[in-house]
Amino acid sequence: MEEKTKRAVRKAVLLAFFIIVIGLLIYSRVTARPSKETFKDKLSAFGLWESPLLYVAIPALYIADYFSHAWICLLFAFSVAGLIYEFVPKETITRYMGRGKAVGYGLALCMAPFLTVCSCTMVPLFGGILYAGAGVGPAITFLLMAPAANILTILMTGEMISWEVAGARIIASAVVALVAGLIVSATPWGKAVEKEFQVADSAAARSSAKVEVVKPPLDERLWAALKFAGYLAKQILPFFIIGLIVVGYLSAFIPEEIVESYLTGPTGILIASVLGGPLYTPTLVEIALGQELWNKGMSKGALLSWLMGQPYDFANAMAVSRIAKWKIVATYFIVAWAGSVTFGFLYGMLSGSL
Amino acid sequence: MKEVKVEVIGPEPPCMRCQAAKKAVEKAAEKLKQAGVVVNVEKANIMSKEIVQKYGVLVSPAIAINNAVKIMGRVPSPEEVEKLIMEAAK
Repeated sequence: MEEKTKRAVRKAVLLAFFIIVIGLLIYSRVTARPSKETFKDKLSAFGLWESPLLYVAIPALYIADYFSHAWICLLFAFSVAGLIYEFVPKETITRYMGRGKAVGYGLALCMAPFLTVCSCTMVPLFGGILYAGAGVGPAITFLLMAPAANILTILMTGEMISWEVAGARIIASAVVALVAGLIVSATPWGKAVEKEFQVADSAAARSSAKVEVVKPPLDERLWAALKFAGYLAKQILPFFIIGLIVVGYLSAFIPEEIVESYLTGPTGILIASVLGGPLYTPTLVEIALGQELWNKGMSKGALLSWLMGQPYDFANAMAVSRIAKWKIVATYFIVAWAGSVTFGFLYGMLSGSL
Repeated sequence: MKEVKVEVIGPEPPCMRCQAAKKAVEKAAEKLKQAGVVVNVEKANIMSKEIVQKYGVLVSPAIAINNAVKIMGRVPSPEEVEKLIMEAAK
């Protein structure tokens, strides 16, 4: 009996926490007042431009400023990412991956956003999908979809930039991931890898082994979700804060004129797509920097291209090249880059902000 | 004397959460030793052909007890692992 009440209390407390976090976000959205004040204005307001302390003040002030309006959003994004990761049925991928190409692609697209907020699950899953006989196509689709449109980045893009951009990011990423998967699986080197990794019919091996994941009670699952959210924050926030220091300096010193002349129009998209990819930005930093550049006059098309650069950065490519050949990496690199340019143009034209 | 095989399945080199999962299993094994259950803890590579052939695509960290994946994509508490191993030992 006592055990039961303990569980009930734990469950209630944890549920209350998640409800409060969601409520906080809604409250902050309802009461939010749009502010046109830029970071430069704030520096002027403090009279820091002439001060010798300027260079010390910029990172401190920028981080404080960022967190003062983003903390609810970050708290929400991490909590929800933890919840979804815990409650998404992970067995689905085990059960259905390897049952034909179409299922493979579908699963890769639908599951990637929920499973891979953490890079340490991504590369193993890439390898697993390849071995499981789903083929190299779904594996690549999964790999590109995961960093581009995982739950954490989408929530942050939506809340910090705009939900229109977040929506465009999801659709564009999904299409590019799918196309890249299809193209790689059609190339000779893609087929070679598939053959190399092909596992013979494993009915015999599987007869003794099975997957029967146990489900703990709800209070333990909620606690696990919260713990995972904390783990994610611990992994991501240190790099994010370092990134913010850089973004703070850029925000203070990049003149609007340069952004307006170089990050708009067709050249703007090309530049943004090249900068967004190889230039390695830790997760979420691309959103903060994109937001800053957008405020300074970058076009929406260029913004989308910039955000879509995430999946083809170098860190990602390095991890994959350990499993697949460099030719495969190069192929999806090119497709992802071409996709980011194409969708930058499309979105720029559709939204009237090229 | 009962023997139970526990595989901790994760990537190589191990990630933080897989190490945490392994620690939980080791703690449980330590405790069960006193209860007369021998737990063989093995570290398995999630990306090896053998493991994928055996279990399919897994989300790391995964824990398999006597060739059945019981935990996937999360770090369990030592108590939970202990309970699962006891069930398998019966």
